[in-house]
Amino acid sequence: MTVDSVRPPLPRRPSRGRARRDLRGLVYVVLAIALVVTLLPFAWMALGAVKTTGELLRDPAGWLPQHPTWGNFAAWFGALNIGKFFTNSTVVAVFTVLGNLVFCSMVGYALAKLEFAGKRVVFGLVLVTLMVPGVVTFVPLFVVVSKLGLVSTYPALILPFVATPLGVFLMRQFIAGIPDSLLEAARIDGAGDLRIFARIVLPLCKPALATLAILTFLGSWNNFLWPLVVAQSSDMYTLPVALSLYSTGQNSTNYGVLLAGAVLIIVPILLLFVALQRYFVQGIAVTGIK
Amino acid sequence: MIRKKWPVLVAIVAGSTLLLSGCGQQKSAISDTPAAVLSSGKATGTVTVWGQGTEGEQLAVVAKDFEKENPGVTVNVTPVPWGSALSKYQTAVAGGTTPDIGQLGTDWMPSFATALTPTPSSIDTSGIFPEAVQTTDLGGTHYGVPWYVETRVIWYRKDLVAKAGFATFPTTFDGFVKLSEALKKGGAKYAINLPTSGFNAYINALPLLFSQGANVTSADDKSWTINSDAMVSAVTDVSSLFSKGLADRTPSVAAGATQAAFVDGSVPMFISGPWEIGGLKAAGGAGFEDKIGAAVIPGTKPTSLISGSDLVVFKTSKNSDAAWKFIDYLNRPAVQTAWFTATGDLPAQTSAWNDPAVADNPIAHAFGEQLKSVKQLPSASTWPQVSAAADATWEQIVKGSTSVSSGLAALQAKATSLGMGN
Repeated sequence: MTVDSVRPPLPRRPSRGRARRDLRGLVYVVLAIALVVTLLPFAWMALGAVKTTGELLRDPAGWLPQHPTWGNFAAWFGALNIGKFFTNSTVVAVFTVLGNLVFCSMVGYALAKLEFAGKRVVFGLVLVTLMVPGVVTFVPLFVVVSKLGLVSTYPALILPFVATPLGVFLMRQFIAGIPDSLLEAARIDGAGDLRIFARIVLPLCKPALATLAILTFLGSWNNFLWPLVVAQSSDMYTLPVALSLYSTGQNSTNYGVLLAGAVLIIVPILLLFVALQRYFVQGIAVTGIK
Repeated sequence: MIRKKWPVLVAIVAGSTLLLSGCGQQKSAISDTPAAVLSSGKATGTVTVWGQGTEGEQLAVVAKDFEKENPGVTVNVTPVPWGSALSKYQTAVAGGTTPDIGQLGTDWMPSFATALTPTPSSIDTSGIFPEAVQTTDLGGTHYGVPWYVETRVIWYRKDLVAKAGFATFPTTFDGFVKLSEALKKGGAKYAINLPTSGFNAYINALPLLFSQGANVTSADDKSWTINSDAMVSAVTDVSSLFSKGLADRTPSVAAGATQAAFVDGSVPMFISGPWEIGGLKAAGGAGFEDKIGAAVIPGTKPTSLISGSDLVVFKTSKNSDAAWKFIDYLNRPAVQTAWFTATGDLPAQTSAWNDPAVADNPIAHAFGEQLKSVKQLPSASTWPQVSAAADATWEQIVKGSTSVSSGLAALQAKATSLGMGN
């Protein structure tokens, strides 16, 4: 559509119009195939969640459940007490997201628009920590948390992720794109840094904030190893840890419970994405980060 | 930008050096704590226990009985997922936040030696399978008590084996080949599923090789015997199953494929452990249970692998007295029998096998027979590398791209150059 408006109008020839229609048809076919390929695993997961173990292990595995059962879901809502894990995951994800939104945008603003000594060094350090793989800091981080006496508490699950270098980088890149003249105008009108940040920068950052929110939420929601290690009683387990605990044994896997659990875990993420996808796409387009 | 990467490299190198030196220091501290002497009274206080998977879930039930016997004690059980249990224990040791009692896989024991307390002498382990007790022996001192054992047997379709004209499962390798041929003639696509490639393919074949009298190390565990005459002839025998078309050279490695082929009868035998029973029953549906059989690995000297879990008390435990008393309780034959009924875990206490609940179970019976002759995997610290190299060699031999003798000779040379470690 935009392409049409930019290009100079061409003399209309019927053959060309047909070619364009054909091309568009082809695009739809390709998109439809891509959509099916993307959705098939999800469909298989959802269908598998209502199958019995016997049916799941059958070879060749069929698509439609022959004896649909809610047993796998019943297991999660009954004996496995999914409510507790759901609450834990939600609390951790929400606070991690809030922390990232507040701190990363503040640091990003400072690094993009304020002048202070050592700014480049600080930004360099942020980039450096971006390159350190998480596993390197895993054990030291755990020792710090345990020395602070926080093991098996919500802060232990949240604090290590409350500001991430990726988030700082993303916000800095986005804020750098805001015209200086806009901020200068506000300054001339007498606004301080906090007011400029809250009233001008943040509202303009909505797409970047939405991207950051989704990325952080996903990361926190799917995080497995840290919650497993730092939660030392099953009361503090999050959904991925519970999923692993109840569906995967040492040598065998309960695929029905696994798939039902996976469905339950994915639903909130899908809802979040649907709610924020407009901003998300914009954010990716503007910052080039995914 | 390129310059900025240097600090990372430096940090990583420095970090890993610190980690490594940390491990080194801990190693020297082995067995500095003397074994505790248990008090004579009942257990009191609080005991925290980590148990993996099903064990963790069921343990809370058993703990209630222990609390009834010892009114002053509270046992807190935390079920831990098998998935990354090893990382969880390792991090807990590093951070000093270990529970009182942990459940360690027998193969993990050596790496935890410095974090454990020695077994008190008053805990009687004489009734436990000696190969299992051996896994708690770390440099001459015992750290922990075996909880349950696992071994591998042949799972087979009783109905199809009977149809093939065999009233009992053969005990010799020749008999086993005859049965395999009869099964194939009776309509099975392949007689037995043996993994041919990937992680632990060789270990999966080891029970069959052991049972022909072969071994991977010498009796004193000082050298590799991977191309001994016994091993060459055993590998020749077992690989003939593939050349005769009795086993698939490229079996499906998809999750559940082996069990599915077992249930539909296309591959009616495979080698695995006691954990299969639940999955097989579920996959087969109603009435299938009667068709599942388990048999001792056939051969001149039927021998399989032993593994399982040990219960240990960590050094950081503030209530090791009650912790050891709980382990001692779980070690009682009657409790072990009840545990078998609840979880299907095979009792480590030999006398628990005499209980009718275990003895009259035909599948447990096969495991009981097999446990009379079992071996551990080599304790050499180089074993993981040797095992990985063996997986590759095994695949080449099975698929015919190298001969048995030259493949094993090359593997032996590689193993010898790696040495026995420690």
